[in-house]
Amino acid sequence: MKLIVRIKSFFASTWGKWLGFLSIFLAAGLGAGLLVFWKGLSVTHLSDLVPWGLWITIDQSSIAVAGGAFFLCAGVYLFGLKQYQPIARTATFVGITGYTMAMLSLILDIGRPDRFWHSLVYWNKHSLLWEVTMCIMLYLTVLVLEVLPILSSFEWLRNHYPKIAEKLEGVHHYAPYLALLGLCLSMLHQSSLGAMYGVLKAHPFWFRPDVAVLFIMSAVAGGMALTVFASMLSSRLTKRAVIKEELLERVSNFIGWMMAAYLYFRFWDALSMTYTYQAGRTEGLNLLTGGTLSFNFWVGEILLGTVAPMIILINKKARANQILRMAALALIVGGIVAYRWDTNLTGMFVMVSYLPGDLTVSYTMYRPSIVEWIAGFGIIAYGLTLFSLGVRYLHVVDHRIYEEELETVKATSIESVTA
Amino acid sequence: MADAKFSRRDMLKVAGVAAATVVGLQVVKNANANEPASSGASGSRQWAMVIDQNKCTGCGYCVMACRAHNDISPDITWNPVLETEKLGDKQTYLPRPCMQCTKAPCVEVCPVNASYYRPDGIVMMDYDRCIGCRYCEVACPYGARSFNWKAFDGPNPAVPEWGEPEVARRPRGVPEKCAFCYQRIDRGLALGLVPGVDPDATPACVGVCPTGARVFGDLNDPNSPVSILLHTNPHFRLREDLGTGPRVYYLPATAEA
Repeated sequence: MKLIVRIKSFFASTWGKWLGFLSIFLAAGLGAGLLVFWKGLSVTHLSDLVPWGLWITIDQSSIAVAGGAFFLCAGVYLFGLKQYQPIARTATFVGITGYTMAMLSLILDIGRPDRFWHSLVYWNKHSLLWEVTMCIMLYLTVLVLEVLPILSSFEWLRNHYPKIAEKLEGVHHYAPYLALLGLCLSMLHQSSLGAMYGVLKAHPFWFRPDVAVLFIMSAVAGGMALTVFASMLSSRLTKRAVIKEELLERVSNFIGWMMAAYLYFRFWDALSMTYTYQAGRTEGLNLLTGGTLSFNFWVGEILLGTVAPMIILINKKARANQILRMAALALIVGGIVAYRWDTNLTGMFVMVSYLPGDLTVSYTMYRPSIVEWIAGFGIIAYGLTLFSLGVRYLHVVDHRIYEEELETVKATSIESVTA
Repeated sequence: MADAKFSRRDMLKVAGVAAATVVGLQVVKNANANEPASSGASGSRQWAMVIDQNKCTGCGYCVMACRAHNDISPDITWNPVLETEKLGDKQTYLPRPCMQCTKAPCVEVCPVNASYYRPDGIVMMDYDRCIGCRYCEVACPYGARSFNWKAFDGPNPAVPEWGEPEVARRPRGVPEKCAFCYQRIDRGLALGLVPGVDPDATPACVGVCPTGARVFGDLNDPNSPVSILLHTNPHFRLREDLGTGPRVYYLPATAEA
């Protein structure tokens, strides 16, 4: 009886309700995932013409919006912008959340999940996907090491195993080396995730070097945008998250300029495709600017995803409005997801014939199946759960914590952050 | 804390770590010597197929023989026969097996080397190594790969009418494709037969063709049926502009033939 009462009161709290809400999606996602393992990929709407769909978009997007970690860590530990260290802490946790989300979607997406380890054992160095896999595995290791000092903030651990907490905190000494390694690995794979498409001659819409450049630029902007957005949102929802407004404001301004640079490159990338007819590429651009994906492109990617947030974040007055700024940051994240989705599908929707004579173009379609959506939402719910737990128990959004200071306190309990 | 200033000593340490990483990668690179051949042109025999569009009637026997001998699901076609242009009243066809490219995009992109070149030029699939990522399928300009979205259980409707299975069925979750009936070539050679001449040592689609539209043989042998045809006839390959170097050649249909 006592237990039931406790459970009841738990779910009566906002935190309990939030976890309960997420667990519905988690349970459904788990069910869908098991169905995929049991029935195979026939439960998806993927086909031989569109073999990559929703899950690849989730994989691509969650790695992109986790890209704030490497950039902010590099800034803090390699370029001496130490005042941003608390944001780097949040970004690192967003990073590990995003990369593990990507792992989950990949394990669903590959036809033989039981052989996932083959990619680490059998190497084909010509393959962009091999390079991406290697970098992601190594970078995930870096992220785990970077997260260890954060784990030491777990009060229960500090109280019960102070020695272990102290050890975990000690990993912080290696932060500059980890930041350098993370910078190298991320520069490699964030661009290669675009180059993966960019090297495929079979799809002229993809076959251009700019994809790699656009992917890394959008990852840097989107990664920081998600980190700042998550920090601001957490601070409004719980007292456990404490932010320094001026830090986030300055980062947001930088993101605004980053979006301006991204828009510039995106513009000449699109413009360069208009100069001459090339079978497949021209049709791809038309599909994006005037076809099935045009709403995604003009509204999702350009207007709401780039131009509007860029203006808000560059303009001092608009940026000072917290609600407006949060909206801008969320829109950037949405725009990045739309860009990954559009890039993946445009290349596959337009098919160039291989028959003799003039190259002709045909089209195909794809809409994710209900199982794909449920599993996809499950992965997103996992990410939200992990981050929420981080905010509540690991103080991942607490701008009063500078890890140098933490260290001097050693494993005695940190100042009570639970208000 | 010590890193209050990122001192020169720290910088040297970081540089040291970076250098060690590079050296480490080189060591790993050398240890990983089981590189695939960079193209399929290293062996003494170079298999190729010539398909005469003038002779192809679009009957589809090759599709069925292929399904039986390679134990392929009815949902999958390794070797579709496509309708191409009309010359006068004559409908022309183009059968499309795997092109067995000399520079195959699928081999280049496979992260685990599950697609690889045999020395005789056949582009092979290691179905036990493949992780099912489908990058090869996305990369192939010819649509030559089909993914096993579900398991193929139960009897094969093409068997026994069109032949008996000679290779293991592929499991669910890997893409599959034509490999020039490598099993027939290898077994035939072991028995002293000549692929392209003896039907038992030749791809099943070639032997079953009622009009003799398909010819198979060794490009390195000037007297092989394929070499002779290619020397005496105009021919083309699919999407030569891509630089994939297909080993399937076509003799174009002409109005008068």
